[in-house]
Amino acid sequence: MNETQINLKTTVLDDGLGLITAAGYINNEGGQAVADAASELVGGGCQSLVIDLEGTRIINSIGVSILLEIMEKIMDGDGKLAFCNLTPTIAKTFEIMGLDQYAGIFPDREAAVTSFGTDGTA
Amino acid sequence: MEVVLHLPAVPNVELVAAKAVETLGEALGMDRNGIEAVSVALVEACLNAMEHGGSSFVVRLAGEDGVSPRMRVEVEDKGRGFDPDACPPDDSTRVHGCVSKRGWGLTLIRELMDDVQISSRPGLTRVRMWKELENAP
Repeated sequence: MNETQINLKTTVLDDGLGLITAAGYINNEGGQAVADAASELVGGGCQSLVIDLEGTRIINSIGVSILLEIMEKIMDGDGKLAFCNLTPTIAKTFEIMGLDQYAGIFPDREAAVTSFGTDGTA
Repeated sequence: MEVVLHLPAVPNVELVAAKAVETLGEALGMDRNGIEAVSVALVEACLNAMEHGGSSFVVRLAGEDGVSPRMRVEVEDKGRGFDPDACPPDDSTRVHGCVSKRGWGLTLIRELMDDVQISSRPGLTRVRMWKELENAP
């Protein structure tokens, strides 16, 4: 539950949808690592992203603030951001901090990817 | 059953406290969601203690019996103190487009825990919070 190192994997799915899987502690360093991965995918042509947090059990407010900054950059580019596989506590934290008002929250990866349709846009 | 940790203000030390919550929570029979809620709240309290409290701080964890058994968590530092009433609840509507997205710690603590008491004066700040063993987020 308390991994200090975050493990990230990025994938470009069909239709240019970017996928980031993140497992570990999302603090300032973990959040920044996710932000860097998101920037790389967006720079490579992905307009919208799915962030899968299946392996993440603990976060802090600084890490979530960085995720909010990712969301704003994606929205500035007319893209959309979706999260999936959140623990109940992480889902509630997103709700408290307002992330769920602008990003899609889905129970699993399939639901998140499907929400974007076939052209990478929700 | 009580756990007392004297922690230095070093990066990621809050995860030591979170690990103690996991161990004690399992021993008390708290479910996974409850343990994770307490862990996130405690992480925020530790970050505040490290930011405002100086070079070290103390974490105390204990189980409390009663009609509704619960876990008690305390974080104590020797910093300059603050007025908790002067920290208004955060509003999630301020997020989008807002330059500063920081300062959510106390709000998360209050929302994730069942009861929170904060006392603070110069030289001693104590955040005391409780989570019922069967009251996940």
